[in-house]
Amino acid sequence: MTSLSLHNIKKAFGKTEVIRGVDLEIDDGEFVVFVGPSGCGKSTLLRMISGLEDVTSGDLFIGGRRVNEVQPAKRGVAMVFQSYALYPHLNVRDNMGFGLKVRGLKAAEIAARVGEAAETLQLGPLLDRFPRELSGGQRQRVAIGRAIVGNPDVFLFDEPLSNLDAELRVHMRAEIAALHKRLANTMVYVTHDQIEAMTLADKIVVLRAGQIEQVGTPRDLYNNPANVFVAQFIGSPKMNILPGAFVAERLSAAGIGVPDGKVVGMRPEHLHVAGEGDAVLNGRVVLAEYTGAGSLLHVDVGEGETILVTHEGQNEPAFGEAIALGIRPENVHILTPA
Amino acid sequence: MTTKQWRTLNRVLWTVSLLIAAVPFVFPFLWMLSSGFKSASEIFGQPSLIPTVWHWENFVEVFQYQPFARQYFNSVYIALSVTGLTLIIASLAGYALARLRFAGAGLLMLFLVSALMVPEEVTIVPNFFLIRWMGLTDTHLPLILLPVFGPHGVMATFLMRQYFVALPKELEEAGRMDGLTTLGVWWKIALPMSRPALAAVAIITFLFSWNLFLEPLVFLSSLELFTLPLALSNFTDPYGAPLWHLQLAATSLAVLPILAVYIIAQRQIVESFAMSGVKG
Amino acid sequence: MSRANTTSKPARGFRVPGLSLRRREAIEAWLMTSPTIIGFAIFFLGPLIAVMVYSMAEWNLLSRKMTFVGLANYTDALTVNADFWQVMGNSVIFAAGLVPLNMALALALALCLSRPFFGVVFFRTIFFAPVVTSAVAWAIVWKFLLQGEAGAVNQMLASVGIDGPNWLREPDWAMAAVIVTRVIKMVGLNMILYIAALQTIPRDYEEAARLEGATHWQVFKMVIWPLLAPTTLIIMVITTIGSFKVFDHIYLMTGGGPENGTLVLAFYIYQQAFEFFEVGYASALAIIMFVIVLALTLVQFALRRKQVR
Repeated sequence: MTSLSLHNIKKAFGKTEVIRGVDLEIDDGEFVVFVGPSGCGKSTLLRMISGLEDVTSGDLFIGGRRVNEVQPAKRGVAMVFQSYALYPHLNVRDNMGFGLKVRGLKAAEIAARVGEAAETLQLGPLLDRFPRELSGGQRQRVAIGRAIVGNPDVFLFDEPLSNLDAELRVHMRAEIAALHKRLANTMVYVTHDQIEAMTLADKIVVLRAGQIEQVGTPRDLYNNPANVFVAQFIGSPKMNILPGAFVAERLSAAGIGVPDGKVVGMRPEHLHVAGEGDAVLNGRVVLAEYTGAGSLLHVDVGEGETILVTHEGQNEPAFGEAIALGIRPENVHILTPA
Repeated sequence: MTTKQWRTLNRVLWTVSLLIAAVPFVFPFLWMLSSGFKSASEIFGQPSLIPTVWHWENFVEVFQYQPFARQYFNSVYIALSVTGLTLIIASLAGYALARLRFAGAGLLMLFLVSALMVPEEVTIVPNFFLIRWMGLTDTHLPLILLPVFGPHGVMATFLMRQYFVALPKELEEAGRMDGLTTLGVWWKIALPMSRPALAAVAIITFLFSWNLFLEPLVFLSSLELFTLPLALSNFTDPYGAPLWHLQLAATSLAVLPILAVYIIAQRQIVESFAMSGVKG
Repeated sequence: MSRANTTSKPARGFRVPGLSLRRREAIEAWLMTSPTIIGFAIFFLGPLIAVMVYSMAEWNLLSRKMTFVGLANYTDALTVNADFWQVMGNSVIFAAGLVPLNMALALALALCLSRPFFGVVFFRTIFFAPVVTSAVAWAIVWKFLLQGEAGAVNQMLASVGIDGPNWLREPDWAMAAVIVTRVIKMVGLNMILYIAALQTIPRDYEEAARLEGATHWQVFKMVIWPLLAPTTLIIMVITTIGSFKVFDHIYLMTGGGPENGTLVLAFYIYQQAFEFFEVGYASALAIIMFVIVLALTLVQFALRRKQVR
């Protein structure tokens, strides 16, 4: 039973407060992703869980045990670093067996465990190679193998895919997801890429400036963002945010009330070309970016506001054309401005 | 004990150990200075860092014992000359080796490399004869020329060359397109861009020349021509035993200015040595 | 690359029509390197050849007679003169004592001072200070401090009840004293080389090792030390070469004594040439020294090349 519990965790470097009171519950076997812009504190949070950084105040529980003062090696966690941190002077086998050797396990035991992990990750043929002879994806797998070998309770990933090219990232994402299915350990994953978050997570934690903005499943965050920040962070292209007054009239006609001071969010993929009667917005196409499957339209809707609309199919409106846009009522988000 | 307490204790222990380790590095300077203020007899009395009577006159006596001021000046201007010459010659040759292609470049490099391997003691004897034949013994010329064209000079040349090689070529090429000659490119573009290397060479060369001992020992016989290192070793009584109070006062005078400059510019100075160590 | 037609480009280098680009470049190069070449020819190449010639002559300056004796000087040194082997022994002992001590201390200091903490610059400055100090000044001060009874070191030892020897006058202690004081002077240099090397090791490795349960010692032994190996090798060779060249320090601290106990090769050469005026013999010694240093330097170059790869 390895759940994680964070109670009012705070972290300060000197006088600068980096984490400002984080409360979080992670269940056994969950795949949790910390996501947020640079500097939001997600890596710091991860490192506090690992023990590489101290907790300034608050309580950290792993598996029900308070671990604030516990050495990293004794917390039952393993970490995959962004740079993989593979020892260049050791081959793959010795890299993976390093932690076991340090802990004093017998050679036979080490070989057995390394062999097992190597099989799981298909690293067999690479065992005698050195890190400099491996490709990025292979190094990644070795780093994961090293983590597995210690039989940890919790896996920690610190932006593991950032150093890979786009194509490889897609492939490795799938491998990590498969790994989670197979091992069923609790996994905490840090990334700044919201697509990785959406595709991998059971639960996403959106962080900004050291605080949690929202916690929820990918669907929750997509369909019910709690505020403008989360709404625009999740989903690509970004959700369009318009002042309430802009569309209040037309929306109330459709039965949606827009209280004063609120803003209205509409995702580009939810807006469609509509007839005059159903239209919520009118505008003029100022840019049509052909993307292959469809187009990304930049539409000037007046008063200096330009919004994005994803258009499916090959017959997109032309530059300069006037278009009317509609949206299903359930896809309209009423949000408080930041 | 909590981790935090343990960590503080750890830090205290480390600091104390470092301070203890630092003693033999600092202690000589303190003794040097304080002994310079003691009388000849007090020096052999109880060990005390602070002299009981401050004999400022030691420092005056230093200048009376031998032409110390003159000797100090000698060291300064010789070091400046060596530094200046080395900078020019090393950067000229370094640039040529870095950027220009010419037959014989390889041979020249080999020749220079071999000069790196020869310690000064090996060539000092024939050099002595050469200088004597030129009638230049007991002058400062050998003290300037020999260091410039010795292993140190080679190291300086290679340092400059390495630095030039790493400079982006575009700026020099732009200069050429504007009509500059090679010398012009060297003077107007390459040199200004290589300030860190020039500074490093200057610092190391100055210190190297300042500290030279063998050459002055071999070539100089007149007191007024002595440089500081030689002068310092010369504060002896007729029996050859050192006059400690004078010697240490003089040593203080020689060392303290350098130390002062070092403390102020230590980052730059240390970096210069690091640069030469990594490449030299 | 070379073009005979020079009128259609802006002139570079010498504006001498008819000279190809290649040629001009070569002339410029030779001109720029001429001071170096001339200087080194006069003060290095010439003397080097001269030394080789002298080494084959029996020549004492006082007798003003120079007779060629082939390799007699070398055989004298290697077989006849007991002095020579004592000197070589001293040089080896000096190097064997200095190099490990210097490197171990440099590494220890570097490990303490490679990460930023309050006061790290202060300590680095202190440990490097003797490096910029004149060797003469350093030797003089230590000679003063290490005197028999009156020296500060012995007086401090006496206050704790230890009877210190006359450091520079007793054969065994003199060598030790000379080594230790030289190490203190020069260790700062190796320290910063090690610091530079340590700072190129990414923190990730240490953190990963810590996470896997390694103690500080294990991290050092299994991760840091292997990664420092190239630097260690090079520092070792450089320091060894340096230790063979030491002259001022010993000249001033012990004058070669007691009983030639600290007479090392560089000093021996000076002594033979400028105190005994045995130019021929000194030259042979110089060639021997050259060969030793050459061998060590070649080793250093080979190591550097391997490291770059």
